[in-house]
Amino acid sequence: MAAAAPSVFLLMVNGQVESAQFPEYDDLYCKYCFVYGQDWAPTAGLEEGISQITSKSQDARRALVWNFPIDVTFKSTNPYGCSDEVGEAQPETLSSDCLRRAEPGDWGSAVWPLNGSPPSITAVLPPVPSPLLLLQDPALSQGIPHGLTPALSFEGPQIVLSVYGPDVFGNDVVRGYGAVHVPLSPGRHKKTIPMFVPESTSKLQKFTSWFMGRRPEYTDPKVVAQGEGREVTRVRSQGFVTLLFNVVTKDMRKLGYDTGPPDTQGVSGPSPPQGLPR
Amino acid sequence: MAEVHVIGQIMGATGFSESSLLCKWGVHTGPGFVSPWAAWKLLSGVREGQTQVDTPQIGDMAYWSHPIDLHFATKGLQGWPRLHLQVWSQDSFGRCQLAGYGFCHVPSSPGTHQLDCPTWRPLGSWREQLARAFVGGGPQLLHGDAIYSGADRYRLHTTSGGTVHLELSLLLRHFDRYGVEC
Repeated sequence: MAAAAPSVFLLMVNGQVESAQFPEYDDLYCKYCFVYGQDWAPTAGLEEGISQITSKSQDARRALVWNFPIDVTFKSTNPYGCSDEVGEAQPETLSSDCLRRAEPGDWGSAVWPLNGSPPSITAVLPPVPSPLLLLQDPALSQGIPHGLTPALSFEGPQIVLSVYGPDVFGNDVVRGYGAVHVPLSPGRHKKTIPMFVPESTSKLQKFTSWFMGRRPEYTDPKVVAQGEGREVTRVRSQGFVTLLFNVVTKDMRKLGYDTGPPDTQGVSGPSPPQGLPR
Repeated sequence: MAEVHVIGQIMGATGFSESSLLCKWGVHTGPGFVSPWAAWKLLSGVREGQTQVDTPQIGDMAYWSHPIDLHFATKGLQGWPRLHLQVWSQDSFGRCQLAGYGFCHVPSSPGTHQLDCPTWRPLGSWREQLARAFVGGGPQLLHGDAIYSGADRYRLHTTSGGTVHLELSLLLRHFDRYGVEC
């Protein structure tokens, strides 16, 4: 019997949260979770996890190793696609939060004005960055008029990492947040992602939060996977985490996707500054 | 219609003299004039945004890790999307000063790419340069499209800023149906 055209594809990801470099902190553990849009659904494996607490090694590397396994499989679920007819995909039918009609030379509703005197930020930034961050659910392409072939509107899955450790008083405080997209091309990928924490607004708040053990943190770490709402945050980047992914996909090519050359070496991401172990 | 997915991150920036940096970014597609229907349609994703402000504790690279997830449908090859960037620095009083403008084309071959986008900023007269050194501020572009178009650039006298680092993955769909090799 003739094989029907597939309507979904699978993305299988396994790997590990390998290690971290945080020069100033020790005894850390990390939590990971996957963030994905409406078009994806995990079919197997674990979406979240908490690792063990690790201490720096005594040798010169001073490495923090977790070796924490990741194993998850995603399925694409969107039956909608992009019609072959010219002009069918109308941006106006999509949610207006995320999309705007293409206009040349359009800088649009940026937070700060482009011309004239330097912008005054005090009108824009709220006094306390973190608790006011809203987790806006990025509205996707709902009801794109239609499609003969299945496709994705995307919001590719991302892995969000949060690293925690004890402070001087023994309280558990956040040491960094970071996120990266799960690679969509099959092969082995090594990613080193920077980790950052939100900063206190004033010196007084900084001292109070150090003293009380309640540092600024995100109410939901998944905010780190989004772009919206980040323009009012001030952060400090203070470490790196290295992840390893092995990706296998099924039926992506049959659905017309070209993911590029298979990446067997796949070392990417920023390199930590000199002197830190990779 | 052929489709292009751009998935990646604006990783961060190096080489700027100031330390607390943020980046405003946007994607521009299509020709420079208003056309009745644009060849490129944005099907999903946010076309522009602004990153967080980062003050690096280790090294001198400011890290933003700002996600970019765009899905375009296109009828033609003209007007391949360009990412334009404005890097600003913020001081302890919350004032912002321009650190650089830059743009780079979204890569055209599928796979993962590391991009380094150099930046520049307008110089101004010697008085404006002196004022910028003491008080801050400095000239800025009135219209953002000079960042990615070459049209009126000959009027500008600029100096170079640092480099913005991006990692973008391209996923193409149905390009082989139309005989396009990428």
